[in-house]
Amino acid sequence: MRSKLLLPHRFKWIGLFVFIPFLVLGLLNRYKDFKIEALTFYYEDGSIFTPVQNLTDELALTGSIISLLMVSFAREKQEDEFINHTRLESWQWAVLINFVMLIIATWVFYDEAYIDVMMYNLLTPLIFFIIRFNWVLSKNKRSEEKI
Amino acid sequence: MQNTIKVERAIKNMTQADLADKIGVSRQTINAIETNRYVPSTILALKMARLFGKAVEEIFTLEKGD
Repeated sequence: MRSKLLLPHRFKWIGLFVFIPFLVLGLLNRYKDFKIEALTFYYEDGSIFTPVQNLTDELALTGSIISLLMVSFAREKQEDEFINHTRLESWQWAVLINFVMLIIATWVFYDEAYIDVMMYNLLTPLIFFIIRFNWVLSKNKRSEEKI
Repeated sequence: MQNTIKVERAIKNMTQADLADKIGVSRQTINAIETNRYVPSTILALKMARLFGKAVEEIFTLEKGD
């Protein structure tokens, strides 16, 4: 039983290493107003775009999502039916937790803080999946008999 | 569902890793089945039964509530 949607195993580590710089870039952009000047574009009046647009945040978010997708969709070394089962169960779990937390956050955070919640919420389904999936696998591994 | 894989392995003097190799799954899978955390597919159950030279029903038995 082979799942066609998965990437080779090495993407788990590639994704993780690539995620860190994009995350740092995103946080610097959000909280320290850091911008990569080369990514500033000027559009003519009457264009559908805002006249001056810096694309640092777009780059950071796209990079973060793609790298987390790599980690999430990387095949395990031996991807078999139990791993596949755990994978699907973890997606289900991640979606549920994500929306429960979103509902709570909707009632707890307001204004600017809620914008942050929405922003993090773009990445949390993937992050919850990665944590849950790897936690179950490592818990199972710890209980394996030692040879 | 209960199973006697651990006992069958002991009879054949196999480790979890040996069994995993023989039927082409990860050690994780064997461990999860032995600790009743995962119910294997019919294909996997048949492969194990064949390896141990027994009928599937001798290795896997239904529990109350199944």
